[in-house]
Amino acid sequence: MTLRTDHIAGGAAIIVGLLVLALSGDLPLGSLSFPGAGMWPKLICVLMIILGLLLCVRAGASKPVAEIGWNDLSHAAIVTGATAAAIALYPVLGFIVSISLLLAGLVFLERRRPLTAAIYGVGMSVGVYALFTMVLKSPLERGLIGF
Amino acid sequence: MEGTIDSLLLGFSVAFRPDVLWYAFLGCLVGTLVGVLPGIGPLAGISILLPATFGLDATKAVIMLAGIYYGSQYGGSTTSILMRIPGEASSVMTCIDGYAMAQKGRAGAALCIAAVGSFIAGTFGVLVLTLIAPPLAALALRFGPPEYTALLVLGLIFLAYMSSTALPRTLLMAAVGLLLGTIGIDNMTGHFRYAFDIPELGDGIGIVPVAVGLFGLGEILSTPTATVVGKVLAPKLRELLPSRTEWRQSAMPIARGSVLGFLVGLTPGSAHIISSFLSYAVERRLSRHPEEFGHGAVAGVAGPESANNAASTGAFVPMLALGLPTGPVTAVLMAALLIHGVPPGPSLVNDHPGVFWGFVASMYVGNLMLLALNLPLVGLFVNVLRIPYAYLYPLVIMFCIVGVYVVNGSVVDVWIMLAMGVFGYLLRKFGLDPAPLVLGLVISPIFEMSLRQSLIMSNGNWTIFFTRPIALVLMLVAVALLAMSALSFLRKRRDWRTRLAEVEASE
Repeated sequence: MTLRTDHIAGGAAIIVGLLVLALSGDLPLGSLSFPGAGMWPKLICVLMIILGLLLCVRAGASKPVAEIGWNDLSHAAIVTGATAAAIALYPVLGFIVSISLLLAGLVFLERRRPLTAAIYGVGMSVGVYALFTMVLKSPLERGLIGF
Repeated sequence: MEGTIDSLLLGFSVAFRPDVLWYAFLGCLVGTLVGVLPGIGPLAGISILLPATFGLDATKAVIMLAGIYYGSQYGGSTTSILMRIPGEASSVMTCIDGYAMAQKGRAGAALCIAAVGSFIAGTFGVLVLTLIAPPLAALALRFGPPEYTALLVLGLIFLAYMSSTALPRTLLMAAVGLLLGTIGIDNMTGHFRYAFDIPELGDGIGIVPVAVGLFGLGEILSTPTATVVGKVLAPKLRELLPSRTEWRQSAMPIARGSVLGFLVGLTPGSAHIISSFLSYAVERRLSRHPEEFGHGAVAGVAGPESANNAASTGAFVPMLALGLPTGPVTAVLMAALLIHGVPPGPSLVNDHPGVFWGFVASMYVGNLMLLALNLPLVGLFVNVLRIPYAYLYPLVIMFCIVGVYVVNGSVVDVWIMLAMGVFGYLLRKFGLDPAPLVLGLVISPIFEMSLRQSLIMSNGNWTIFFTRPIALVLMLVAVALLAMSALSFLRKRRDWRTRLAEVEASE
């Protein structure tokens, strides 16, 4: 049997549905005349499981998993990793430092000169910091360094 | 009618205030840029700029955000015609004949027809919205919880039915959104649901981190630099005016596209995408020269461009009159109104007439602004496309982070955005549309509340949804749609939705 995208999507829906049902043990279901906090999420879980089964049954119409193109995976992984690092550093180092590093790092990885990448990163992050804090009056994280 | 005119005059007195005009202009300008740039859709644009409206009052905020939405429909045509890249999903159909016209040296004429068609359709849409939204809101005031529940059931089924992907896939995505919407405190009993002792999850998952993650970051993750084409076909601006024959050929497609687009816009789903596809199909069917389609047919540009603009205006009707979003963009706009303390819905017209009528009037003005912006400044917008993508995408990521953080000042929200970005990337790989997920997230609390209230009202008798006339009609329509969908599946018939899926897959 060829493994198809709907097999994966349907299987994931069934697993998530069952998992959330298991996590909802302490939420009261209530009664039809007074539904409890657990009724709505459990109803959706059942719906997800049914839809997951339906997808698995009629998966023949979907694309084989082997045909999915993953040539953008390295780009996605780099961007995800860099963004995760910037978010982790954000509360510690503040907006300007963490975002400068993110912008300069990504531009550098796109084979631009280190100096160009650094000027671009610092310039953009300082500009946006000024825009949000001074013009839009929306405070951004200052971090331990103070900006 | 007299009351409507008086109210509209009140709206114009708001819309013509210099500060309001400025924000309408800003929205239209940003919207055009969002439409021009591939990879940044209106949803990401609105979500990222939502925090920038926090310092504004509700009227200016919603006018600016709506300007981004309909502005992006105008801007989307530019890249379609000049580069054969749809800056916007709804401009996919314009690529076909718009680019063919550009290759024949008629790029200017194609851009002009697209802009004028969008203007006429947008203005027509606002005119009909002005007339039907207030009476619809008055009718909706008679809706109780059972009617709202039935309406939401119908909305979800309609969304799934109209979707180009299979019904179970769309419903599954909506169910994931509904499930995410249950996170946080249960409003009726005070129970904490799936918060895992994270205080930030007590208020639930916000729509902004989810929308920005799925549509902003998700798009960036699946677009490596090498895949972005940098070649831009420069339009000859002296050829901007279409010939008399081209005007004649575009008149009826614009008229048909306006009506068709508005009607499709009222329904849930990706109305602006579906409307442009349907308009293209209709124009080809009605044309005396269907063989010209694909080779630079004027109607192939005029119809779809008018339809997608009318649809984006039509989508405001259920949002303003019923308080129900029909798509992810209107869902984010609803969230924007709620953040500013203005609940959209039937009482909006009476409780906040300045916001409602100011918003409606600003759309007349906005359409004029867009016409003025898009034609003479097309060369300027095209230059934006020359910014190397290697510099552009890190900037978009930065705005995703800032946009999400500023809403609540919460780093947890930014982590949610990143997780949603990765999830959005995977959804694209598996051919699942993330739009119903956002819609499900927004309607989940409304849906749950109306369902539970209905059951409490009826003392647990679920037939309440079939004994009240309005609810019964809505439920019957939902059942009919389900039956039609099942029949189509059993007969394995290729209808317009299958063809839409094929066109989307080929792009």
